[in-house]
Formats: sequence, structure tokens, C-alpha cells
Amino acid sequence: MPITEYIGAVARASTTSDVFNAIAEAHRREILDALMAGEKTVGAIVNDLSMSQPQVSKHLRVLSEVGLVRCRAEGRRRLYRLEPVRLRPLQEWLVKYEQAWNDRLDRVDDYLQELQQQGERQ
Amino acid sequence: MTPDRHGSAVIEFPNDLEIVVTRDFDAPIALVFDVFTKPEHVRKTFAPFGEEVTVCSIDLRVGGNYHFVMVTDDGTECSFRGTYLEIEPPTRTVETWLFDGWPDAEAVESMDLQEANGVTTLTWKLAFRDQAGRAHMTKFDGIEANFDNVEDYLRSLLDPKGPVSGGPVSG
Repeated sequence: MPITEYIGAVARASTTSDVFNAIAEAHRREILDALMAGEKTVGAIVNDLSMSQPQVSKHLRVLSEVGLVRCRAEGRRRLYRLEPVRLRPLQEWLVKYEQAWNDRLDRVDDYLQELQQQGERQ
Repeated sequence: MTPDRHGSAVIEFPNDLEIVVTRDFDAPIALVFDVFTKPEHVRKTFAPFGEEVTVCSIDLRVGGNYHFVMVTDDGTECSFRGTYLEIEPPTRTVETWLFDGWPDAEAVESMDLQEANGVTTLTWKLAFRDQAGRAHMTKFDGIEANFDNVEDYLRSLLDPKGPVSGGPVSG
């Protein structure tokens, strides 16, 4: 396939393939935040945020594809809700670093105490 | 290679009923006029975020109608239609503007173009008939994306061998 098509295909795949890519986009994180309060229609999300309906729909589609939101129909309305459990891979990835940054903060603490003690001695 | 002007639209509210958006394009005025008024071009740029355009008809004469329909990613059809009131190629069109999503809103849309030093400046105006109609218009990401799409499309026409850039804003 021509390189331009290939680049397009890769770009599309990377935005929809996993949770990490899905939440890399700031607007999509805003939509997740808007759904924290509970199930909402597209219209309600549009009202909450600075995005138009087409853009919200576009992002909801990506979020649905990775399972971060689920949609159900109620009559003619379509309601979207958060599937927070799908954020698990992210949390599992982050938790490895939590220990590392806690250790570093402890070392900074020790260093500051040392400085203070030196100051007191002088 | 022309400059990247994405997101450069200037949005102003001169009064309670009007919205005016100003945007520069690095292309000759006649081409910019065509891209905004010929269906084969509009079809490729109108949908802001790469939605499917299912209807794109333009009868470019005073009293002629236009009709655009796009389908958003959740299946919602958005239909825009109106009638041309003034046509002065390549500088100006004025047309009525009706969006089926806002049935109580009526507006007159105008497009004015001016070229200087190879840059064509678009002044796009939407004048609502009343406050109720104007109150619907709270989001401008769609119109901005539409103009960004036009910029990319103009670049692809002027420099077909140039680097790949933009296209409809992707997710």
C-alpha cells in the first residue's frame, strides 16, 4: 500500500488499540471526567464540555472501542457510562513507579534534614 | 510549503446575534472561493472531524439551494440547508442557514474573501434572526476544524507532492 495510506492506517490503529492511547487525548480525558458523575447522553456531555456534538461522538466512539465507556439505548436516547475497571492496566503500570517516587521523596526528606542539622551546627 | 495555520481562526461576537470568524488561507482567492462553493470540494472538507458526508448538493445561483448532510460517529444525521441570496465570485456569497438540529434557529450566513500578498482572508459571518437561535451556538470547535480541513485540502491541491499533513482531524 502507498506510504500515505500506511501512515493513516497506523495512526488510526494507534488511537484505538488500547486504553493508554485512548486517554492520551486531552478531550477524551475530559469526557471520562464528565462521566464520573454518572450515565449521560451525548447531549449532556456536550453541554458540560467545550466540544461540539460531532467531536464528542467521535471521541466516545474511540472510548467505546477500548471499553472505557459503554452505551445503552433507552428509547431513542443513547446513554453512555464509564467502565472504570478498564483503567486497571494503567493503574497496574503506574503502581510500579509509585514505590520509586516514594523512595526518592524519602531521600529528599533525608537530605533536607541533613542540611537543617548542618545549619544548626554552624 | 505554506505555514500551518491550524487553530488560527479568530472568533468574534460583534453583537447579540452575530458570530464572525476570520481565517487566513495561503491560496489564491478564486481557489478558496471554489473550495467553499463547489460540491466536489465541500464534500471533502465540510465534515469537521472526518464524519461521513452523505449529501452535498449546491445550486450556486441566487435563489438556488444547498444541502449538506453528515453523519456523526454515533449515527446522528446533521443536515444543513439554505438558499443563496447573493453570489459574487470570487469575493462573496450570502445564504440562509438552517440546521435541522436547531429547528427554531434561522440565520443568514455570509462569506467574504479578500486576497493580499498571496493570502486570502475569509470573513465568515452567521447572523441569527433572534436570541433563541443565537443561544444554540456555543461551540466553535466544529467551524474551526472545518477551516483547518480547508487549509489542508488547499495545500493538497496546490502542492500535491508535498508532505502528508492533516486531513480531517482524527481521533
